[in-house]
Amino acid sequence: MKPAAFDYRAPASVDEALPLLGLDSAVLAGGQSLVPLLNLRLARPELVVDVNGIAELDYIHADDGVLRIGALTRQVTLERSELVATRWPLLTKAVRLVGHAQIRTRGTVGGSVAHADPAAELPAALIALGARIHLRSPRRARAISASEFFLGPLHTAREPDELLVEVEVPEPPEGAGSGFAEHARTHGDFATAGAAAVVAAGHAGIALLGAGPVPVRAEAAERALAGGAEPGEAATLAAQGVDDEHRRALCTELARRAIEEALG
Amino acid sequence: MRIGVEINGHVYEGDVEPRTLLSDFIRHTAGLTGTKVGCEQGVCGACTVQLDGEAVRSCLMLAVQANGRSLTTVEGLSGDGELHPLQRAFHEAHALQCGFCTPGFLMSMEAFIREHPDAGEDELREALAGNLCRCTGYLGIVEAVNRAAREMSVGNVQRD
Amino acid sequence: MGALAGRPLRRREDERILRGRTRYLDDIDPPGAAHVAFVRSPFAHARIGAIDVPEEIEGVVAVISAAELEGRAADLPVQGFEGGEVSTEGHPVLARGEVRYAGQPVAAVLAESRAAAEDGAELVEVDYDPLEAVLEARGSEVTMTRWHRVSGDVERAFESAAHVTRARHSLPRLAPVPMEPRGAIASYDEAEDMLTVWVSAQDSHRQLAGLAKVLDRPEESIHVIVPDVGGAFGSKGAPAPETMLVAAAAIATGRTVKWAEDREENFVASYQGRGVEAEVELALDANGTMLAVRARIWADLGGYLMPTTAIPSHTTAMLMCGVYDIRAADVQVEGRRTNKVPTGPYRGAGRPEAAYFLECTVDAAARELGIDPLELRRRNLVREFPYETALGWTYDSGDYARCLELAEELVKPERHDDDARVVGTGFGMYVERAGGMFESADAELLPDGRVLVRSGSSPHGQGHDTTFAQLAADRLGIAMEDVELRFGDSKEVPRGAGTFASRSVAMGGSAVVQAVDVLKEKIAAVSAGRAMSLREVAEAEPGIRASARFESDLVFSSGAYGAVVEIDRATGRLRVLRLAAVDDAGTIVNPLLAEGQVIGGSAQGLGQCLVEEALYDEEGNPTFASFVGYSLLTAAEMPPVETAFVESPSPLNPLGAKGIGEGGAIGTPAAVANAVADALGGVWVDPPFTDAKLWRALREASG
Repeated sequence: MKPAAFDYRAPASVDEALPLLGLDSAVLAGGQSLVPLLNLRLARPELVVDVNGIAELDYIHADDGVLRIGALTRQVTLERSELVATRWPLLTKAVRLVGHAQIRTRGTVGGSVAHADPAAELPAALIALGARIHLRSPRRARAISASEFFLGPLHTAREPDELLVEVEVPEPPEGAGSGFAEHARTHGDFATAGAAAVVAAGHAGIALLGAGPVPVRAEAAERALAGGAEPGEAATLAAQGVDDEHRRALCTELARRAIEEALG
Repeated sequence: MRIGVEINGHVYEGDVEPRTLLSDFIRHTAGLTGTKVGCEQGVCGACTVQLDGEAVRSCLMLAVQANGRSLTTVEGLSGDGELHPLQRAFHEAHALQCGFCTPGFLMSMEAFIREHPDAGEDELREALAGNLCRCTGYLGIVEAVNRAAREMSVGNVQRD
Repeated sequence: MGALAGRPLRRREDERILRGRTRYLDDIDPPGAAHVAFVRSPFAHARIGAIDVPEEIEGVVAVISAAELEGRAADLPVQGFEGGEVSTEGHPVLARGEVRYAGQPVAAVLAESRAAAEDGAELVEVDYDPLEAVLEARGSEVTMTRWHRVSGDVERAFESAAHVTRARHSLPRLAPVPMEPRGAIASYDEAEDMLTVWVSAQDSHRQLAGLAKVLDRPEESIHVIVPDVGGAFGSKGAPAPETMLVAAAAIATGRTVKWAEDREENFVASYQGRGVEAEVELALDANGTMLAVRARIWADLGGYLMPTTAIPSHTTAMLMCGVYDIRAADVQVEGRRTNKVPTGPYRGAGRPEAAYFLECTVDAAARELGIDPLELRRRNLVREFPYETALGWTYDSGDYARCLELAEELVKPERHDDDARVVGTGFGMYVERAGGMFESADAELLPDGRVLVRSGSSPHGQGHDTTFAQLAADRLGIAMEDVELRFGDSKEVPRGAGTFASRSVAMGGSAVVQAVDVLKEKIAAVSAGRAMSLREVAEAEPGIRASARFESDLVFSSGAYGAVVEIDRATGRLRVLRLAAVDDAGTIVNPLLAEGQVIGGSAQGLGQCLVEEALYDEEGNPTFASFVGYSLLTAAEMPPVETAFVESPSPLNPLGAKGIGEGGAIGTPAAVANAVADALGGVWVDPPFTDAKLWRALREASG
């Protein structure tokens, strides 16, 4: 289908963009999630706010052990970042699995997080890393932890008048390993299930995708692993809430693989 | 809205609505029909072109977003001159049948091989997963990109 | 054969494709064309009341519903089969009073752009009164096709049998998914009373015949042009209701009208493949000799019979003895109406189903009898040809034993299991019908001494231009560059049957060869023993031309496929480790292109096994309206495929050729299914072999 008609604005700064946001507008970042919806007329905004010109949102840097990724950072930029590969390798592993190279050339970190597809890799990785999501509206600026940001399939805590501006990721503990495992029907397809893990002595961050309507932190598994449990045990704990037998087995296996990869 | 997009070194101007997709601008306004449309969902890859040398889905960009930008499409891969090594490899390995998916594969893989000259077969296969083909069963395409990757890394081919 | 035929020559077609110089339907942009968007039913089953169209919609030229087509367009015709019953009620161009599947076209909006037409379509209000939807073939009370044949003393065979194996299997519907969706452009010249239609189709002939019938126009007043076609796989063979609408709209409005189907429409409204269930019983004696087969087949045909909907399940029934010498058979097929899009021919068109049902039953029989599955097959293979089956067809030639032997050698069987995974091997054999009817060709000597061949066959990726040039050049003793081929334009090419049922080399190629032979005779008559170049002959007698119409009974290709598969215990994930494809398609004219057909067909067969199924939800809504709901395999999933050709020439055409286009799709699912069953220790599941299914089956198998 061709999209339903809409007005179009391309602000050059966050301040210019904010007043344009609302219930009748949609933010166009990478377009890899929004445009397919426009092309099926499942999204019918009156106004499309193209934020690709907001250069101030395109950055990756680390200050004081905290990684800050501007919302407009292309997924391919994240994928190629040496800084991230060295100190936040879970993100590198996760972003590499997002769709295909052509998607990652345009897709943005902020876009993937704001779109909140339940099968998306970045949200799960960010939850496992204890990331925070920064939002701005004309009224205020605020940050929410990633594990509280995702409320349902394609539904987040972002208000219609808020723009996601940054993803903030604390550095994993010294010596932490990371692992990401997922399962999809075909290569590059939406994941049916996946697991992200960051493990260090006395610390574990584990998140599952495909285990429910939103990516979830596997807190019981994290405690168990930090307390010295075997990967298999922790993985079983991680998936215990999954209803369907096979899906539970799948999530358990993927969690186990992610944890074992993190343990090296 | 009036926009101007450089495609294969030539600027094409046209009037578009905000909702006009880049794929439609390329095909119906610029008249460059070598780029095909297979799904308008970003999955099949038939619409893949290069934006500043990087492979993108033209069906997932609005034409207005390409205003003032530079694109390469399959027509620009070799112009009227000798076939690009990748095109030759496709021909030699019988990597095309109906041909509808072929431009998308060429534009995707030209970019990938250029950016990853040392890619092995597994990496090449994963890169190929971004384009769908219903005719060939892919094995000819895998052979073609393996050949082309070797030739391109040895010859260090530069595009015009 | 001469110097060219039999050689793996690369294709002449490639350069213009590689340079992006192709012209598929949507690449054609007639200036001032009106674009069509369809209003399609959101309900699986409903009565239609009033259709309300706002007076003036910006950019909209016309809105057409069944009322406007009254007297202008009849329902689409229905093709039947011999010896059975087929309803004659066809698919209406636009729904009349009732819709029977979600996605059925109800009205057409013509506008200055596709986007404007879709805007207009949203404003058309249709009064739907939803009715209950029937979604299971066996639960449907409406039978649209029926065929039953009993041959030999089946009752006695089953009574006296030492062993009876029973199996139940079902194959879900599949979407053909050519990379290029469908489309049509029509233009009507009132002064000449000439309707010109460009259509993405498998040939011009069936489109032309369909248009003539539906629009009630003489065939001479219709000109059909088939441009480049981006794949079809059976789905662009029968004329589509949308094509009829485009033509009728062009006549009614005087505008050139264009419809370029999008992917969502193609998924939802293009006729689907498979969708069949069967109960099979095989009677064997104590030595494993097959005495008789009984089969009951139910086909989920959808809401209407489209022109070729009835054909595939009848073909399945006709092939239920397979490659085996079974002298008694009782086979029944019923095609039932359901509230889904109609089914029709999709690569294999009935033959994959037959191979699947029979081969799974044979493997089950082997397991039950404690006989090696290959040995059981060997004891029963047809070995002498021609062979008339109990079901009525006569297999022209073959070497089934050789195919099986080669398949076993090439696949390198493997069978083992440990804590992490289980590996199994399986085989599937097939025999399939190809060719038949007739095909035409015309050969003309051009003034410059080159030869122009016009063929009734029509390519959509198969490489006919190269293959037919090989044949013609060989026959004439000239270079391939001096042979030009023309396809697809009904005013240019002789009336033929078209491209489907793997017929092009056997039928189209034979017609080319015959036309060229007649041309040679005419050329020889002119040169009368003198050494003259073709150019000189053309100068001496301009316009030498010859035509041929080649007719033949069906030819029968066959093959044996082997697969080695691995199932991951923890997740149920299936990996096909390798495939062996041995096909006997008679004489192979271009082995490179033939292998391409086998691998392409195998990929579709693997897709059926691993990821493809077109499912409707409980309300009859398609869940497969995009690639999110319907998956295709990528290059990353393709296993190595070893191919080999056994060439048992057919006595039925001058080339000895049969058909190679569909074998991959026919042999692969049977081999993979049997390999999966082997890995599971003798448990059969139906495709697609999803993680969940295999994981559960493994749990059950281990008790």
